[in-house]
Amino acid sequence: MSTTTPTTTSVLSVLSPAEQEALKAATFQRLHPRVYLERFLAENVRPDGRPAEGWRDVSAHVGSISTADGSALVRLGGTTVVCGVKAEIAEPELDREGEGFLVPNLDLPAMCSPKFKPGPPTEEAQVLSDRLNEVLVSSGMLPLTSLCIHPGKAAWVLYVDATCINYDGNVFDAALIAMVAALKNTQLPKATFDEETGRTTCSRSIKEPLQITRTPVSMSFGIFDSTTLLTDPTSFEEPLLDTTISVVVDSTSGALLSASQLGIDATAAQDMLQTCITAAAQRRHDLRKIV
Amino acid sequence: MAQTGFDRRRINGPEQSHPPTFGTQDEVEGRWIVGQPRKARKPMDIRPIFLQPGLIDQANGSAYVETERTKIACAVYGPRQTKSTAYHEKGKLNVEVKFTPFSCERRRAPMRDAEDRSLAVAIHQALLPAVQVELLPKSTIDIFLTIIEADGIEACVAAGTVAASTALADAGIEMIGLVMSCAAAVVEQETWLDPTEEEARSARGSLVLSCMPALGTVTSVWQSGKLRPEEVLGCMDACQERCSDIHSVVAQALLENA
Amino acid sequence: MDSDLVLPGQPISLPRGPIPQLGPGTYTRDAQVRASLVGIPRNEGSTLTISRVRPHPPGPNSVVLGSITRLSPLQAMLSITVVDGVPLPSGEEFTGVIRTQDVRATEKDKVKIADCFRGGDVVRGVVISLGDARSYFVTTARNDLGVIFATSEAGATMEPVSWQEMRCPKTGKIERRKCAKPENL
Repeated sequence: MSTTTPTTTSVLSVLSPAEQEALKAATFQRLHPRVYLERFLAENVRPDGRPAEGWRDVSAHVGSISTADGSALVRLGGTTVVCGVKAEIAEPELDREGEGFLVPNLDLPAMCSPKFKPGPPTEEAQVLSDRLNEVLVSSGMLPLTSLCIHPGKAAWVLYVDATCINYDGNVFDAALIAMVAALKNTQLPKATFDEETGRTTCSRSIKEPLQITRTPVSMSFGIFDSTTLLTDPTSFEEPLLDTTISVVVDSTSGALLSASQLGIDATAAQDMLQTCITAAAQRRHDLRKIV
Repeated sequence: MAQTGFDRRRINGPEQSHPPTFGTQDEVEGRWIVGQPRKARKPMDIRPIFLQPGLIDQANGSAYVETERTKIACAVYGPRQTKSTAYHEKGKLNVEVKFTPFSCERRRAPMRDAEDRSLAVAIHQALLPAVQVELLPKSTIDIFLTIIEADGIEACVAAGTVAASTALADAGIEMIGLVMSCAAAVVEQETWLDPTEEEARSARGSLVLSCMPALGTVTSVWQSGKLRPEEVLGCMDACQERCSDIHSVVAQALLENA
Repeated sequence: MDSDLVLPGQPISLPRGPIPQLGPGTYTRDAQVRASLVGIPRNEGSTLTISRVRPHPPGPNSVVLGSITRLSPLQAMLSITVVDGVPLPSGEEFTGVIRTQDVRATEKDKVKIADCFRGGDVVRGVVISLGDARSYFVTTARNDLGVIFATSEAGATMEPVSWQEMRCPKTGKIERRKCAKPENL
């Protein structure tokens, strides 16, 4: 059994000079993260090589999970979110007899980042779930009346569950794309409600897609040092930002669905908001091909 | 009836909801029934394994394994400092398994239940003999598994062990060998390897064997159901042979990724 | 395609001649030398090792960098972030402790912790032992160990003046720290 610990010099001598320089840079990043980011931004570039207003590549794969009624796997740079839709049947609420239910949830498990520990949903997960719920409901992308099978007796419940597998910042955008793509991929079996027995029977052979009217996509920005606007922040940049702004637009019509700002209100923030909305309007064209 | 207790930390749906029931005349064509010979495979064939190490860059090591209808992602963190107050000379291995709500035919509640724990214990037993924990005092290695799609418990244990081994090797944690795992089920009188969920449910008994092909030693055997002792030994031999094939797939993936 | 790459459990072919000493990354079983990591076996002097430059926990004689988190009259608590030149992922720090008798080599009993370290200082130290359940024992009793980075009360980065003092460039005030000797001197 080996018991000796290698000394610093012998271990690092394995690496080439370029790798040793990279390790020194990583050490500096670890000890002084703010100064590290400032030095990059002074050269008009970010640590991952993007310009201050650059976006990471997005890719989406739909329909690969056979146990779910609809599914999507989205990669936004390094951030990976998998989303599945399960449809169940329930009685509608007493005051909303003709409506079904849409239940979105986002899970940030301990596996996606070293900063999460195993246990109940963290504050961040709860806040993101709530924001996603608000966007999906307020955008009106899926009229809940279309989920009704028989008024007052049976309606569809769509559980939209997203899980983050790798956390590299900007989970909100990735989760929204995943949820919307999974809903678009969902096929519901045709359901018939029998008045006499009070039971709902579904058909295995006839399936219908959901009636999706809008496709919301979100674009998130961060403000660093009250002056620099960073698009699509990574997990290294996120803790250093003062404020984050999210703009949700409908990717087909371009209508602005929601804009939110979290954090300290910096000076000239209103101009920032306008810049964000303009940038989002341009970006939605790129995202149309994905969702 | 899927009863969702009100969880104030999540968005909640209606109090009760049940999965859709299908009409009996609507049976899926060509579905396998007990008594028929195995569909699409020979009894001793396993399904092709797709393995990708290093997918999760936030973790120290990671692996994603996919075999037809079982998809598991595994991340390894550590060695990191144990939060407990007791001093331990050997490192601790902590395995946690989580099913996504859409991974099974019936939706699973996001709460962790007994099935997660028993799977975690099975995988922990399979991996512990291989990891050199005496080299990591005061440290914990956290292994997190997320089951994205499940095709029966046995397939999950087998694929989960393979994913965890690959992730540990990817993380640079010292081990005496790579642990491979294979599942078997006895249907009627035949032994079938790598059973699907339907096959395992109709079987008389099933078995999951974990071993280190490089050293020729067995690390754990997990057996359930009614099997005669000679059937158990036969299953174990068949699994051990298959594990060498699985080992070459994992070796290929690790060498390409290194 | 690198054919020298070995996997855990795979036997390593030894060169002819005397059997080398076994370093980390290898082990023996039944008189056969096998690998315990994925890597290329190399001979360093007379030792056969497979090394991987990965974040790893500190061991005795590891050079560590950390930031001071708490001070007490008897010790300073350290949050270790870099071990042997390799930074640890954020969220995975180890705790270390510098006791008064390990701060410097001379006049060990007359050490006042507040005159050696302040909260937030980045310190280079060497691990003496695994310590107790909660922290590793770290020493700064060498010329090249001690505070390498500190901010003054006015908020500027201070420069070391001697092994006991640092100077703030904004106000000119001198503050007392146990400084590490800068490398270029």
